[in-house]
Amino acid sequence: MGAGMSVAEMQKSYIKIFSALMIFTFLTVVAAKFLHFPESWGGVSTILHVSIGLIIAIAKAWMVVYIFMHIKFDNPYIRVFIYIPLFLFSVLVFALTVLGGPTL
Amino acid sequence: MSSALSLAHEPVTGIRHGKLGMWIFLASEVMFFSGFFTAFIILRNTNLPVFAHGASELNWPLAALNTVNLIVSSLTMAMAILSLEHGNKSKFQLYMGITFLCACGFLVIKYIEYTAKFSHGIYPGTSSFFGMYFTMTGFHAIHVIGGMIPIGWMLAKSFTKRGYQDWERVEILGLYWHFVDLVWIFLFPVLYLIF
Repeated sequence: MGAGMSVAEMQKSYIKIFSALMIFTFLTVVAAKFLHFPESWGGVSTILHVSIGLIIAIAKAWMVVYIFMHIKFDNPYIRVFIYIPLFLFSVLVFALTVLGGPTL
Repeated sequence: MSSALSLAHEPVTGIRHGKLGMWIFLASEVMFFSGFFTAFIILRNTNLPVFAHGASELNWPLAALNTVNLIVSSLTMAMAILSLEHGNKSKFQLYMGITFLCACGFLVIKYIEYTAKFSHGIYPGTSSFFGMYFTMTGFHAIHVIGGMIPIGWMLAKSFTKRGYQDWERVEILGLYWHFVDLVWIFLFPVLYLIF
């Protein structure tokens, strides 16, 4: 599949991504369940937990799309099918959270 | 050769029709789940105590186990495609079999989670949080079942005399399967962790 890459090289990159996904899953659980911010931080602690959880999820999702779904190797036209829904979803979330008034 | 190429591939982009169709479908799937996620954001931000309490009742270790389940199945799916592409039939059957078993394991754990909730008197109508929880995980579970059908079919076919050689179809199924993993990657922190 991968342009000019041998089977062994492809397998190696799959295993690398798999390991990274496992480590990130572990990190997100640790950050959510065992990382406690001081009580006095109040709402900031929630913002931090939400941010850490989502940043790790986005990183994991990108690894899956880039390597497992072959975006790195495949026809660049396919990227359009990621960027368009991603853009629409971002607009929706931005409208709801930033423009939609008070949160948390 | 050129006429065969133009039948199998979209002429402007050169992408195989089946793959192009799957990517368009996945784009629509992103919007499908976006509806749930945005509903979740609105309901959460207007009922934060309800959501925090609901999330605290979920069994996050089981969900973490299910995350591992899906990540393993994603790896084995990618390996299965690579194996079939290079004509390694027994490796394909092994990896495809593990993928199928992981999907079964996912559903078993989901079943345990659901029945535990029901036995505690928690149903989709219990609160807005559980309404979202059952809707989102339920639709995700339906997607897992939907993926298991072609996985099982291709696996069964590879054991027949004629075998199964069409690795490009498996690759297209793989796109779908990785997407199902991807949805769970977001469901796991959003439902179980971030409160």
